[in-house]
Amino acid sequence: MVSTQTPLEDVHFQGEPDWLLDRRRAAFDLYTRLPMPSRTDEEWRRTDVSRLDPAQFMRFEKAGPEHDGSPTTMIGADLPDGVILESLTGTARENARLIEPRLFSLLRPDRDRLAAFHAALFTGGVFLYVPDGVTIEKPIIGRHSSFDDGTAVLPHTLIVAGKNSRFNYLDEYIADRDDEQGYRTGSVEIFLGEGAQVSYVSVQKWGRNAWHFSDQRAELSKDSALRLFNVTLGGRFSKTRVEASLMGPGADAELKAIYFASGEQFFDFHTLQDHQVGRTRSDLLFKGALQDRASTVYAGLIRIEKGAARSDAYQANRNLVLSDHAKATSIPMLEIDNNDVRCTHGATVGPVDPQHLFYLRSRGIPESTAKRMIVQGFFGDVLDRIPFEHARTLIEAELESRLG
Amino acid sequence: MATLPQERGAPAAPPQIDVGGDYKEKYGFFVPEDYIFKAKRGLNPEIVKEISWMKKEPEWMTKMRLRSLEIFRKKPMPTWGADLSVIDFENIFYYLKASDKQSKTWDDLPPDIKKTYDRLGVPEAERKFLAGVSAQYESEVVYHSLHEELTKKGVIFTDTDSALRDHPELFKEYFGTIIPPADNKFAALNTAVWSGGSFIYIPKGVRVEIPLQAYFRINAENMGQFERTLIICDEGSFVHYIEGCTAPIYTTDSLHSAVVEIIVKRNARCRYTTIQNWSTNVFNLVTKRAQVFGDATMEWVDGNLGSQITMKYPSVYLMEPGAKGDVLSVAFAGKGQHQDAGGKMIHVAPNTTSTITSKSISKAGGRTSYRGHIKMYPGANNCKSFVKCDALLLDDESRSDTYPYNDVDAENVTLGHEATVSKVSDEQLFYLMSRGIPRSEAETMIVNGFIEPFTKELPLEYAVELNRLIQLEMEGSVG
Repeated sequence: MVSTQTPLEDVHFQGEPDWLLDRRRAAFDLYTRLPMPSRTDEEWRRTDVSRLDPAQFMRFEKAGPEHDGSPTTMIGADLPDGVILESLTGTARENARLIEPRLFSLLRPDRDRLAAFHAALFTGGVFLYVPDGVTIEKPIIGRHSSFDDGTAVLPHTLIVAGKNSRFNYLDEYIADRDDEQGYRTGSVEIFLGEGAQVSYVSVQKWGRNAWHFSDQRAELSKDSALRLFNVTLGGRFSKTRVEASLMGPGADAELKAIYFASGEQFFDFHTLQDHQVGRTRSDLLFKGALQDRASTVYAGLIRIEKGAARSDAYQANRNLVLSDHAKATSIPMLEIDNNDVRCTHGATVGPVDPQHLFYLRSRGIPESTAKRMIVQGFFGDVLDRIPFEHARTLIEAELESRLG
Repeated sequence: MATLPQERGAPAAPPQIDVGGDYKEKYGFFVPEDYIFKAKRGLNPEIVKEISWMKKEPEWMTKMRLRSLEIFRKKPMPTWGADLSVIDFENIFYYLKASDKQSKTWDDLPPDIKKTYDRLGVPEAERKFLAGVSAQYESEVVYHSLHEELTKKGVIFTDTDSALRDHPELFKEYFGTIIPPADNKFAALNTAVWSGGSFIYIPKGVRVEIPLQAYFRINAENMGQFERTLIICDEGSFVHYIEGCTAPIYTTDSLHSAVVEIIVKRNARCRYTTIQNWSTNVFNLVTKRAQVFGDATMEWVDGNLGSQITMKYPSVYLMEPGAKGDVLSVAFAGKGQHQDAGGKMIHVAPNTTSTITSKSISKAGGRTSYRGHIKMYPGANNCKSFVKCDALLLDDESRSDTYPYNDVDAENVTLGHEATVSKVSDEQLFYLMSRGIPRSEAETMIVNGFIEPFTKELPLEYAVELNRLIQLEMEGSVG
């Protein structure tokens, strides 16, 4: 039920600069014109959104650090000079020079109806700008929460890393109540300047009845390095697109994820390692465990452009299927247009190795504990690399509670 | 004859010559003397009826052909894979009498094809056969003695047209059951206009130790444009069938669209080896499928060297527990070629296993694509499937893609996929060159080593020819 009043007149969007409101209007127009993705589109063939009507969630909760007035981000801690860490919509006027040319330039609203929805109605988020040469030792955390049933929470993070800057950033998407329904996103655009080194972690733990769509795209300049981690635990339906464009020689993207789907959860991951130029490297590892009647889809593409010689790309998706009724689909793809490259990919789907289980049980470990140890070991190599103690603890607790 | 515009400069109007005035007497061609069949281009019910009438087919086949033509017309062109929009279906001869086909001379052949025959050391008579200049070569004697022995065991090995005439019941029971006309556009086309191909029946418990080769059969139509092959392996039997040969087959037909149906019953094993080396003007769009029953094994060994575009995904339907499917595929794409090949494994029953191994080589702007599909239906529990794709890119103009599709709806399954894309490694090259081997030779050795898992599965004479062919393809191509 769409009211005659467009949702853009919602009080939430008051006070935003004209350029931003114009963009929202253009994106909203796209949203009304574009069809819902259907299963005839290759990308959505295994991902059913026919029962989703975004219009039913046009009641907005403000996301992001400013929600309850007390910034839970590291905002306020002594940030080095020149660093901007603000609410994205709040600072859109003041920092238009930095934001306007970049916002939604990597995540284009015209990609599909849901991308347009997010671009039109994003409800806040964080803008982080780190000037050239600046290193931030302390981790930065953006905490996005939802509190209500049936609402839309649509945070958007924009990160601009100056030349040779270095920092770690964590976006945490947490539901107040685990059973709440709603429409959630959590998208990010990351620009890495020459030689920048950025770690970005996204932990998604929305309510288990929520729809979640996340688009993440990074653009890497010469000699920059990105470590991007996704941890997907929440949502009834979760679709995450992770894309890295390697635009300058020496660029290096490490894309890792762990996901644990249980109950009736459905997770979809779509990845792109886009090697635009040569002498670039990308390393992708997505590891998932599934139990109960959960299902997951992974589809990833390594694209090596014609001139991108001496590129090195790796892509792996490993699925541990813990129940007979869980279903993992894995589709790793390659499109290679240059010969002077090293590209490898692999995918596996399988149950816990009965020999591993037998080994542990023969040492007197009960089956459920043995299973948990195997799953923890399975996630270990990704988990150990996440540069946030706090995130690791959260994930370990979650694994433990689900594996009983 | 079907001439078409092509880069190699096929003869515009080859002079009509009469190959062997005694052809009809000698080989017993079944066209009535008084009928003069003039081949026409294009596709319509009249032509389809005419083909069926020419072959004196039973009515059910004529009807099936006409029905398939309808299906072909209704089905859209596939929108994935290679670009097929350039095919002009109205400009193709769908049926040519054998005597029409031979109306070419040796001089009409493109020089590069002749050169390849020279270098491969293909005997003169065989060359003429491959080039479509003559209908046969000197394997007659070998074949006859082999044929006698097979017949004693109850093996049927004949061309598909004769099988329809001589074994109508067996034929009707299986024809079109594995690949129905409605399966895809090109299967429909084939069913409408098919001609030639092999028909093989192996009785229960019979093991045919010598590979059966298509070109043992003395028949002008055995390398047809729309060939139709049907192989039935009864319980506990074994056969190895070889289609094609390493030497390039020259044809002026622009479209080759075959259908191969195979039934492998309980405990039987069938191996089907193809070495496809059509001249590079051919669109090669082939549907190959096998149904495999309890504890039986189907192996596709599929090599694609020739053609302009090949789209071919040999598939195995694993129908009962214990069935096993195996695809070993090699593709080589040179200048202007696109090899879109792979395999499909459809696990219908639980406790079935499958493997797909794909090796592809691209050079001089060629493009190879692996396209595969692993499907495990609900209830097909405890299945295992493993896919491995390796691609070698010999220069920076060439391209390689990997598109594996996996649909798993079964429980407790193990599925693995691995792929690598690389160039000839500098370390390997350096090692060989440091031992005094010239660069080009070293590269050829590496390429031959790369496809060794394929060549070692071939009968010796084929393996030798394939190695020579790779050597020829590699000359002056890299480095």
